[in-house]
Amino acid sequence: VSLDLEQVAAQIAEMAETLEARRADRESRLNFALNTMQALPDDIDKLKKKIDESKTTWLVAGLTGSITSCRQPVPCPEDNIVLATDGSQIDVDRHYSTRCFLLNIGVVRLDYGENADARLSSIPLLYFKDDDMVISSDNGRQQIIEGPLLGLKRTVEECRVLTAEGKQLPATSPALLLVDGSLILWGIVGQAYPDYVIQKLLVDGFIKQLDELKELSARRKLALASYVSFPRSTDVVNAIRIAICPFEIVDCDKNCPAANGHRECDAVDSLLDRELFDRLLSPGERSALFISRSSVVGKYYGDNEIRFFYVKIDGEIARVEVPLWVAVSTELTDFVHTMVLQQCRKGMGYPVSLAEAHEMAVVTEVDRNRFWSTVEQYYSGDKMVLSLSEKQKSKRMRWI
Amino acid sequence: MDITNNKIGEVIESSSGGFTAQCYELYEPPPLGALLKVNYNSGHIYGVVCFAGTHSLEPGRRIIARGEDVDTEEAIYQQNPQIKKLLTTDFQVSITGYMEEDKIFHYLPPKAVPLHRFVYYCLNEEVKAFTQSLDFFRLLVDAPLPVSCDEIIAACIRYTGQAYSDPLAFRVRAGRELATLLGGDTYRLNSILTRLRL
Repeated sequence: VSLDLEQVAAQIAEMAETLEARRADRESRLNFALNTMQALPDDIDKLKKKIDESKTTWLVAGLTGSITSCRQPVPCPEDNIVLATDGSQIDVDRHYSTRCFLLNIGVVRLDYGENADARLSSIPLLYFKDDDMVISSDNGRQQIIEGPLLGLKRTVEECRVLTAEGKQLPATSPALLLVDGSLILWGIVGQAYPDYVIQKLLVDGFIKQLDELKELSARRKLALASYVSFPRSTDVVNAIRIAICPFEIVDCDKNCPAANGHRECDAVDSLLDRELFDRLLSPGERSALFISRSSVVGKYYGDNEIRFFYVKIDGEIARVEVPLWVAVSTELTDFVHTMVLQQCRKGMGYPVSLAEAHEMAVVTEVDRNRFWSTVEQYYSGDKMVLSLSEKQKSKRMRWI
Repeated sequence: MDITNNKIGEVIESSSGGFTAQCYELYEPPPLGALLKVNYNSGHIYGVVCFAGTHSLEPGRRIIARGEDVDTEEAIYQQNPQIKKLLTTDFQVSITGYMEEDKIFHYLPPKAVPLHRFVYYCLNEEVKAFTQSLDFFRLLVDAPLPVSCDEIIAACIRYTGQAYSDPLAFRVRAGRELATLLGGDTYRLNSILTRLRL
């Protein structure tokens, strides 16, 4: 039975009306936020200190310079390389007796300039051995890899492939290594995984790759960046909250308990960073660099702590994250900025290398079904029994 | 027409009357009307190129115009190097006969060409051997080709004629064969002959 759209339509109409009614209010909040930003003194040390000392329930961007500064892109180097990876997965299907999962990592290398060339490939990795399917602690505890944890493992694998391929690049051209989404593995803290999972996946996996890339970057011009399209982050809006907070020491729980919605800082409530920078930046410009003060970064990232800037692409504001070793070099940050912009222009609004890496990696519903039927074929060829849950059988044969 | 490295593509679709092959080089299909071959048992299956085209490798992905801000067509490929990897050139071949145990047959082989067979140009000697008799025109005259049959027959005559030291004599012989084959259909015969003028 298909979705009863007639019933939904009335609810959609109500939703649209509510959003429309909020628009004027939102506009005045936005103007207030922009005025507050522009009225901030050039000397930001006081606000920096206030942010550093704050105790908030929300994530606040750390400042590296004037919050409103904008920067034009530098000219793009004629010869350059962009390397991008993206991944997709076939998760463990608990309706099959076979326990396995598949990661498919798309890799794209685009060489621009005199020797223009492209290499597009995908690396499918099937995990089925007992040791592959879990993350184990030294004392024998195990966490099964599936669902969100598989997503995290995929991110680590994307980065591992990116690092391995990055090492193969010729040093003659500057290179941008690009991944989709955030460099901050938010999911690993959100799910309250045991420490050994964080150690294996994040510290020994992801961060180790970042360290290797940092080493590589010391030997040649190479930058790592991640690209977040249509970001929903509020780090900078929250920095404005701190600026307008009337208390000298910001401590939400102590100063404003149970006052949600009635605090001074709620004047910028529900705004997004991208709305601010859509007004502040001209097409092609990037914002100042900000520091991610997320706890996962502070606790685990070390030399790879994450900085980010916003950039105005023709159609939207994107968030670009870079590790500290890129951010400390204006030359590398400028390179990331101009390259991301070029990539978006070539990709009709989204980095072409990431779009192609996604195309190489994507596992469609058809692919998924073909994968499972291939598994079944191999099993039946060897006269092995591949049990299927009754629920799965029922979905396959939709009887009346 | 002697081509040293004469492997040009690989069969990706096949049926009794013909096959589609993917070119190894983008935009490098064999000429329309060219006589090609694939290996078959101990001999070859022969066919004539009746269509070639370039398109996206993935059916769902549309090609879009990219050259608004550049001066040359080459610059589009230079600045978007991935494009060449996402496109493919295919050509279709209408089967015109086969050879088994050194005998040439100008009718369809008993089995379709297996997929992934390499497709080769025929060398001059093979072209001459295959066109000793022109009975295979019969297969082209009535074939359901993607472009006009007359266009393909004329292209085939022009192409295979180059293998002979006297191409004009070959065209005359081909014209006579067509006259017999098309009987009273002078309109069609003329339509082909006008495409053979030097």
